[in-house]
Amino acid sequence: MNVIVKKLYDAVIEGDEDMAVVAANEAIAASLDSLSVIKEGIQAAMDVMGVRFEDGDAFLPELMLAGDAATKSMELLLAQIRKDGGEGADAGTVVLGVMAGDHHDIGKNLVKAVLSANGFKVVDLGIDVSVKKFIETAQRENAQIIACSTLITTSLPYQKELVETLKAMGIRKEYKVIVGGGPVTPQWTKTIAADGYSNTASECVDLCKQLVSDSCRGGEHAPIIIGALTA
Amino acid sequence: MKQKPDLIEILRRSREGEYCSAHDWDLKKIPQGVKSMLVKYGLKGCVDKANPVNLDMELADTFYKAGYELALELGMFNEAKDRIIKIEKDELDSTLRLAPSEVTVGFGADKRVMKSRVPSDPSPMLFGSSLGITVSEDVWPLLTEGIARQLEVDLLEGGSMCTVDGLDALPNDPSETLLCYKQGRMHRQIRKNAGREGMPGIGNISAVTEFGQFCYGSKNSFYNTDLSLILYPSELKINNQTMHKVVHTLAMDGLIFAGSPGMIGGMPGTPEGAVISSIAAALLQYAVLFASVGGGELYDIRYLSNVNREGLWALSTTHQALSRNTHLITHGIANQVSGPGTKELLYETLVGVSVIAASGAAFSTGPRSAGGKLNNYLSPLDCRWCAEVAHAASAMDLKDVNELAKAFLPKYEASIKTPNVGKPVQEVWDLKNFRPLAEAEAAYDQVRKEAVDFGFPL
Repeated sequence: MNVIVKKLYDAVIEGDEDMAVVAANEAIAASLDSLSVIKEGIQAAMDVMGVRFEDGDAFLPELMLAGDAATKSMELLLAQIRKDGGEGADAGTVVLGVMAGDHHDIGKNLVKAVLSANGFKVVDLGIDVSVKKFIETAQRENAQIIACSTLITTSLPYQKELVETLKAMGIRKEYKVIVGGGPVTPQWTKTIAADGYSNTASECVDLCKQLVSDSCRGGEHAPIIIGALTA
Repeated sequence: MKQKPDLIEILRRSREGEYCSAHDWDLKKIPQGVKSMLVKYGLKGCVDKANPVNLDMELADTFYKAGYELALELGMFNEAKDRIIKIEKDELDSTLRLAPSEVTVGFGADKRVMKSRVPSDPSPMLFGSSLGITVSEDVWPLLTEGIARQLEVDLLEGGSMCTVDGLDALPNDPSETLLCYKQGRMHRQIRKNAGREGMPGIGNISAVTEFGQFCYGSKNSFYNTDLSLILYPSELKINNQTMHKVVHTLAMDGLIFAGSPGMIGGMPGTPEGAVISSIAAALLQYAVLFASVGGGELYDIRYLSNVNREGLWALSTTHQALSRNTHLITHGIANQVSGPGTKELLYETLVGVSVIAASGAAFSTGPRSAGGKLNNYLSPLDCRWCAEVAHAASAMDLKDVNELAKAFLPKYEASIKTPNVGKPVQEVWDLKNFRPLAEAEAAYDQVRKEAVDFGFPL
């Protein structure tokens, strides 16, 4: 591995945002291929962090700090790719948040970390987010995906309201809506006619990649379900 | 010497306390604070997966010291204002002295006295059912009455309803307020129908925001001799909704039952770190939230459960620490993942609830059948089993509970990540006649026999 890429890789693993930015700038100054740097330096590091988390060797703070370092360094490298006239590194834009009434953000933070590390621009709206705010932000950011999570059962109906409001506004086809969180099931995803569900944060990356590359528009197909929960 | 801060002082500190961003609180203050306590008290690497119940009481006491010190060092974070509510040593000591060691809940012949306990205390741990599993509006009354009819169950909570007269109930929306008033009325009537009018209740599990909590203590709804449930967003973090509920409950002369689980794998990291943060949160909620009951909840976010080996160890250590060093009326939850009608759920309950009861918790609620994920996946039979186990295991020697856990963990631990979610209530319980269906009853009888054959004191 190139020394600068290794430096970036280590910085992401350590959750050292400042060092990750330094390494990304060094990679740009050295005219390294930015796409390769992202894959080998950032995504590989986040993959390692994901495995460590699953194995109980790393915890949420480390994962989130790694995600922050990945996001900041990736922004610089993606800007360089665009400056060079390159394409294909921007995976898409995801508006992410926890549904109104719910203040639990652990799952949402995990999703943000792994999506950012995989090239998605994530607009994080935080907790207790209204349907209106999700939609206004998605419009402003030209997002492809609206991702809404909740841990509490009583906030589930807001996911349904989000899909129905998009329909009522005549813009359902503009956005893929994905849902997740403790009480969210594949059956619920189908019931509210969302576009996708994943059981874990890491599976959410595959889900978003599939949805972005899919030629269908929002609400046009049966939801994509990724995950083990079968009920 | 400073005394326990009053409500005005807490509200003042929640506005004027030290500023801290939520990002720094989550990613710096908690992890660094916990790590420093782990190092200072030499508590890294204590988990013994071969022995899921902690048997070292000196270790439990050391965890208590670390949790107490963390409470003083960190304080509680108000995410609505980005301010830290710090509590000084004299204030915390005063709070813990003034906290009740027993409270009477309910009334008349059906009342219960909740008491502070110690490990292996012959005074039985009380049990309330269920947790906030969603239940359809048409099923809720009969299912909840089925739970109330289980005489082993000490307190009635009941699941969460999602609709009110067919309309989706949304948090922070008038439909939430309407739902909770309706649920409060039905809750009162159901206890009467079950012949347990004075049975203590827990209200209101469907109240996500303060609007839903207004039903507590109001006419024809939850009594102020019931517990007022006030959950806060995560350990060591509150918001304005939390404080609205506190203010309302105090105005009703009610009993605050507060809690939020420490998270293994979350901000405090390791199981040892989660024990420390859970103890700190338990202590602080008596100062900041004026709790009468609660504290000691803890989960593993990798499984959204705690009946795995590390979760059980952390639960046992937390409750041993709190019960040996305070007279608080603590609360623990065994967070099952398997569902109604399965033997796995019964095994998870046997192990998880026994660990909490024998480790000194005063009170427990459950079950969290099917991990609380699925609508109507809740059975009164499982509520009865939880309560039976809670009462029977209370006086058990911790060594015996450790052997019980070691014997029964292998029957379910391989499926914790991909649990058998079982069946909805209609397929395991006769709602109209308030009795279990044959298949579910056979599973219950079999597991009960296995437990008795092992020597469990049922």
